[in-house]
Amino acid sequence: MLLEVRGLRMQRGGQEVLGGLDFTADRGEIYGLLGPNGAGKTTCFDILAGFLVPDAGEIRLAGRPLDGEARRAVGIVPQEIALYPKLTCRQNLRFFARLYGVRGDAVEARVSGSLRDVGLEASADRPVAQLSGGMQRRLNVAVGLVHDPAMLILDEPTVGLDLESRLQIWNLLRTLRDGGRTLLLTTHYLEEAETLCSRIGILVDGRLAAEGSPEELRGRIPAAEVAGIECEEPAALRARVEALGLAWRPAGHRTAVWLPERETLEAVAARFQGVPIRGLDLHPVRLEDVYREVVGRPQPGTAQRFVDPPGAASRAALVDWPSYGSHTDHP
Amino acid sequence: MLNVAGRILLELGSTRRSLLFWVLFPALMLLLFGLIYAEGGSTGHSFDRTAPGILIGAALFFSCLGGPITVLVGERERHTLKRVLLSPLPPTRYFLGVFLAFCVVAAVQTVVVYGIAFAFGAAFHGSLPLGVAIVGLSVLAYVTLGFHFGARFARTTEEVNGPLAALGVPLLVLGGTFFDPSILPPYLMAAAQLDPIFHMNEALKAVSAEGAGWRAVADHMLVLGGFALFAALIGLRAYGRLLREEGGS
Repeated sequence: MLLEVRGLRMQRGGQEVLGGLDFTADRGEIYGLLGPNGAGKTTCFDILAGFLVPDAGEIRLAGRPLDGEARRAVGIVPQEIALYPKLTCRQNLRFFARLYGVRGDAVEARVSGSLRDVGLEASADRPVAQLSGGMQRRLNVAVGLVHDPAMLILDEPTVGLDLESRLQIWNLLRTLRDGGRTLLLTTHYLEEAETLCSRIGILVDGRLAAEGSPEELRGRIPAAEVAGIECEEPAALRARVEALGLAWRPAGHRTAVWLPERETLEAVAARFQGVPIRGLDLHPVRLEDVYREVVGRPQPGTAQRFVDPPGAASRAALVDWPSYGSHTDHP
Repeated sequence: MLNVAGRILLELGSTRRSLLFWVLFPALMLLLFGLIYAEGGSTGHSFDRTAPGILIGAALFFSCLGGPITVLVGERERHTLKRVLLSPLPPTRYFLGVFLAFCVVAAVQTVVVYGIAFAFGAAFHGSLPLGVAIVGLSVLAYVTLGFHFGARFARTTEEVNGPLAALGVPLLVLGGTFFDPSILPPYLMAAAQLDPIFHMNEALKAVSAEGAGWRAVADHMLVLGGFALFAALIGLRAYGRLLREEGGS
C-alpha cells in the first residue's frame, strides 16, 4: 500500500467539509475519487497536495507521514492548465523540476523523460501558447511528473477535452500506472473513472459513501440490466413499473428501470404497451447508475416511490456485459 | 530563488513589448527633458539633473512597481501561483525571486539611463555605493508595494494598468521626476514632502548630480528607508493573505 488516508476531518467556514475520510491506494493503482460539487474532493486534493492542513486525521505515503520532504514524492496535476504560455514546453518543465529540487544533469534528463512520457518530444521547444488544448493538458500532466513522483494527484485531467485528446490522456495515465506509479484521480466523467480506475471511492458530504472496484460497485445495483425510458407521462410509466414489481429511479428526463434479467428491447417495450413512451434504451448496469444511487437525493414527493422489488437483492449478480446496450425509439 | 528570478526574466524576455516600454520610455523621456533643460546651458549639466528623476520615476516606477503586480496577476490568471506554492519552494523564496528579477531589470534600466546621460556629457558626481543604496531602497519599496497591490487588489491585468497610471503619474509629477521641484508653490512642496518618490528623486539627484554625501541626504534616506520598511511590511502581509486565499480557492 502506498497511500493511506485515515480519519481525515476538515471544517471550513463552520461547515464540515470532510467528516472522517478513510481510503488507501496501492502502488501501480489508479484510484478514483468521485462525488458531486461540494462533496469534499477539492479539499481532500488540497490536503494531500499540502496546501491545506486537516483538523484531524493522518496521511501516510509508503508508511511515512506525508509532510515536509515526503511531499516531493507527490506530483500535482491541477484541474486548470497551470503553465507559462510564453515559455516553451522544455522551459516550463525545467522551471518546475528545479522547484521540486531536481538539480544538475538530472534536470535535463527528467525534462526529456517527462516529454517522452507524454509524447511531446517533437514540440519540446514550442511555446505553450502555440500548443493545442490536448497537448497543453498533456504538458500539464508532464509538469506533475517531472520530479519523478511515486504518486500523482490529478484533478479532472481531461475536463474540456475532445474525445481524441481524452483518449490520449487515458492512454498516458494507463502507461504511468503500468510504470508503477500510483494515480489519484478526481473526475466528473463517470465513464472515465469506470474505464481507468481499479478502485473508486464516492464522496458524499465529506464521507466515503461507497468504495470498491467498478465491478464491485456495479454489483450493488440489484439488476441485470437497466432500461432508460423517456415517457410523456412519467407518472403513468412509474405506476406501470411498480405494478410490474420492478424498481425505478429518476435519471434526468428519463426513468431508469432495473430489470432483474436480460431482455430484448421488444420484450421490454411490450411490458409498457399503452404507456406513451418516447424513447427506450437498454444498458448493463453502469457506474452512472451506482453513482446516482449513492449520491442522488430523493426528489420532493418521489421519495416514497423508491421501491425495490421483493427479492431484488438476491438477483444482484455480477454481470459483465460485453458492451453497452443499443438505443431505439419506441413507436 | 534564482529559478524563480530566471523564469520571470525569461518570460519578460519573450514579452518584448514590456521590455521595449521599460527601456524606450525612460530613454525618450531622458532625451526630451535633457535636451529641453539644456537649452541655453550645459547639456552635461542638464542630463546630470534629469537622469536621476527619469531613472526613479519613468523607469523604476513602471518596471519595479508595475512589474511585480503584473507577475502576481499573471500567475493568478494562469493558475500557476497555486502550482508554485504547492511545490516545496518556501513562499519567502518566491518573494525573493521576484525581487531579484526586478533588481536585474532595475540594473539594466540604470545602465541604459545613465549610459544615455553619460553620452550627453553627464557624470556621476557622488558616492557610487550611496547611489546604489538609494536605487536599491527605491527598488525594494516599489517591488514590495507592487506585491501589496498585486496580492491585495488586482485580479486581472486590466485592473493593473489604469490605476497605476491614474495614481502613479501624478505622484511622479509631484515627486519632481520631470522637473526641478523648486518651482513648486509652497503648498504643493508641502504635499511633495509626503510623496516617497520626491525623496527618492531628491536623494539620488543630490548624490548623482551634486556629489552630496551621506549626511546631506540623511533626511531623504530616513524617509525612504521608513517607506521601504512600511512597503515591505504591507507587501509581505498582503502576500501572506494571498497565500491563505489561494489555499481557500
